Amino acid sequence: MAQSSRSPMTETLHRADGPYLDVRDLTFAYAGGPPVLRGLSVGVGRGRFVALLGPNGSGKTTLLRIVLRLLAPSAGEVRLAGVPLQRYPAGALARRLAYVPQGTTSVLAFTVLETVLMGRSPHTGALGFESAADWHAAREALRLTDTERFAERNLEDLSGGERQRVLIARALAQEPELVLLDEPTSFLDIKHQHAIHRLLRRLVGERGLTVLCVSHDLNLAGAYADDVVLISEGRVAAAGSPVQVLSADRLEAVYETPVRVRLDEATGRPYVLPMPEE
Amino acid sequence: MIPRLFTARRYVLSILAWVGVWVGVATVSVVVGGKLWTWDSPAQLRNVLALRLEWVATAGVVGAALALAGLAFQALLRNPLADPYVLGVSGGAGLGFILASLFLSSLLAPAFGFLGALVTVGLVYAIAQRRGRLEPYTLLLTGVVANVFYGAAIMLVTALARPAERGDIALWMMGNIGAFGPQWVLIGVMAALVAAVGVLYAFLAKGFNLVAAGEETAGSLGVRVGRLRMTTFVSASLLTGAAVALAGPIGFVGLIVPHGLRIVLGPDHRRLVPASVFLGATFLVLADLAACLWEGASDRSLPVGVLTAMCGGPFFVYLLRTRWRRAAEVQ
Amino acid sequence: MMRPWRRAAVVAAGLAFLGAGLACSESPPAGPSAPGGERPLRILSLTPNITEILFAMGLGDRVVGRSTYCTYPPEALAVPAVGDTIHLSLEKIIRLEPTLAFLVARPEAVRHDATLARLESLGIRVVPLQADRMDEMLNAIRTLGRETREEEAAQALLDRIQGDLDRVRKQVAGLSRPRVLFVCPMSVGSSRVLVAGRGTFVDGLLDVAGAENVYPDEANWPTLSPQQVIALAPDVVIINAVGSNAPPDRVETIRQSWASLTGVPAVANGRVHILTEPYLTIPGPRVGQAAERLAEAIHPQRKEAPSP
Repeated sequence: MAQSSRSPMTETLHRADGPYLDVRDLTFAYAGGPPVLRGLSVGVGRGRFVALLGPNGSGKTTLLRIVLRLLAPSAGEVRLAGVPLQRYPAGALARRLAYVPQGTTSVLAFTVLETVLMGRSPHTGALGFESAADWHAAREALRLTDTERFAERNLEDLSGGERQRVLIARALAQEPELVLLDEPTSFLDIKHQHAIHRLLRRLVGERGLTVLCVSHDLNLAGAYADDVVLISEGRVAAAGSPVQVLSADRLEAVYETPVRVRLDEATGRPYVLPMPEE
Repeated sequence: MIPRLFTARRYVLSILAWVGVWVGVATVSVVVGGKLWTWDSPAQLRNVLALRLEWVATAGVVGAALALAGLAFQALLRNPLADPYVLGVSGGAGLGFILASLFLSSLLAPAFGFLGALVTVGLVYAIAQRRGRLEPYTLLLTGVVANVFYGAAIMLVTALARPAERGDIALWMMGNIGAFGPQWVLIGVMAALVAAVGVLYAFLAKGFNLVAAGEETAGSLGVRVGRLRMTTFVSASLLTGAAVALAGPIGFVGLIVPHGLRIVLGPDHRRLVPASVFLGATFLVLADLAACLWEGASDRSLPVGVLTAMCGGPFFVYLLRTRWRRAAEVQ
Repeated sequence: MMRPWRRAAVVAAGLAFLGAGLACSESPPAGPSAPGGERPLRILSLTPNITEILFAMGLGDRVVGRSTYCTYPPEALAVPAVGDTIHLSLEKIIRLEPTLAFLVARPEAVRHDATLARLESLGIRVVPLQADRMDEMLNAIRTLGRETREEEAAQALLDRIQGDLDRVRKQVAGLSRPRVLFVCPMSVGSSRVLVAGRGTFVDGLLDVAGAENVYPDEANWPTLSPQQVIALAPDVVIINAVGSNAPPDRVETIRQSWASLTGVPAVANGRVHILTEPYLTIPGPRVGQAAERLAEAIHPQRKEAPSP
């Protein structure tokens, strides 16, 4: 359900209690470069599966990094649960917000279990002692992602899809309220792409998790997301339900390529096809 | 499936076990190295005991410092083959030490060695930092440059020195325990430094693990990566500088001990930090004992750095034939 | 750059190290350190010429330890060796329980202070001496006599040395003083040489032996290139080939390399003498012999006086 406010170009998606993740007028440029975000505003409601779409260079990953506090915006602010992001101590933020990167860059051979237990570090205290509660949370995360059987194996020995599931398990072990994912299924086959999206859908539905997923895959977003935010040139081009946002003319304007959009009769969800060669 | 969780009880037990090992090894080293049963008069025995205790204590704190610094640099630079001397701190300490013993007094040399290390820390930071942050790659490059510079400077000083002094300098560069004047105060300062940094790293160990898994991941899990890097850089450099100022650049301890422990205990830094401290101390005490026995048998002195260097070769051969080859086959 | 508390911690660590270094430099000796007293005299002699002097004073039986390089007189070889200036075997030193240690003070040598402090911490009284020049050596003999409470033996040695030197002076009195260069060759492969400058012990010997040191400046043992030797134009060249230069083939090599320097008057006149005696450069009791040997080489025509 979309409502307009502030300006025609920005729409907030929220429930009555205000957006959980509230991004306002973010402006950012990498050192010496052109602005990547130009006054971007978006709101993510609690318990929603939100897909963040947009062409390469539109600012999706930059937005994620700002929310993760890896970058500082030159203007604008971000609020999480009503509190400005800077006010959160590092550990407190990590207990609310989890991140699933696109693949791993580890140089050390951690096992799957060790990796998932790392997700417990915001909860394990200064010296990092692990308790039974940590073990249960990790185990639950492994169970949800169907990775229990890999627990003692090295992360590097797994396939791409299995590894991605482990990274999601790590994020779940954090027991967060919001999960940020950066193209979690880019390198996966169709079976795993859908398995992961189904898992995210289930977690949103059963546990009230909030998911913000950056993606290049318009169809997966269209099939599984509650809300879609389309970003173009550092601003929100459109925000709303998949049917509302994924229209042919809007997509053509943003992606600069001709497309057709069809609706799936069974689910009522849109899917996007490239225009055939004339 | 019962996992091996990292619990407080296991931690304390493992530390106690390590302390026991070290005390045992140190005692054997004091007794056997000094051949305490062979002395006639109490005055002689007291002198020998004091000497052995001093050297074993030196070996312990220097070994612990080097192993801990090596572990920290391996984490900081994301390179399991980094050693404490890779950022040039040992060169700065060496130059300070050599210049002080040539032109001032050899008793002030350790202090000036430490000063040289401090100066190097500042220089390396100033050159490697970008907007106040340290990146592993630029740090490594700056360290290479620093080492080249200090190597040249030390060569220059050695070439210009008198022939008698050259022998002294060459011997010091090999790394020696107990080559200097009485140094209980220095040992005490060093022990305090090792203890402080050891405790610090026990608290940073979680962060080391997370940074190894990825900088963005670590940030999202609550680690202040920039601050962690800075703290690690400064503390590990201080440890290295102090160790070199006290005993010269003893090689391979800072590389072998953390690397070997990682093979046995896994990559979890929470376990590696206390293990490195105690295994480093034990390793160097054993090396010192071996050097002492060799000196007793052959009537010639053997710098302990020579022994540790000789361990390095076989260790790498072993690594090559086991772990690395397996890794290469997997690819 | 760094937070204030971190900077303070670094400065504190640095000061602690500096303070520790200074504190260690004043560590008190562990055992009784008063000279003499009731303790027996057990001497550790760490420099070759001091060992020679002690034996010449008749104190050879009190010397319980020597450095590896103390090889004269032959009786000294029976004394246990404890190492050299680069590395002393503290274990051996402890076993010998010396009470008094003598060494020639070389403040420019690395680790000198530390060595002294270490020996003192073992309860040994350490007496550094200056003994590189003629006058320093004579003073050193007096100091040794005082420290070992054998002033008479020291004076007797001094008298004997003075007598030896006077005898040589008499032999060459009135003879013209040639310009002499005293040379120590450097290691194989180098054409440069070490020469005795003014003020050195050898310079003093040359003076006694009736010669003038052609090297004009006060210098310890400067290194000269062949061109510089030619520029000095000595009438006589004395080459002291000892140690690794002593074997006959090496001596021959040295002789031939000097023969090629025809620009030097000494070479042209056949006045290059290669002497292999090792005591020529050791400031010790054999100084009389050294002076005599030099006089022999420089003034072959001098009249021999009967030795007393």
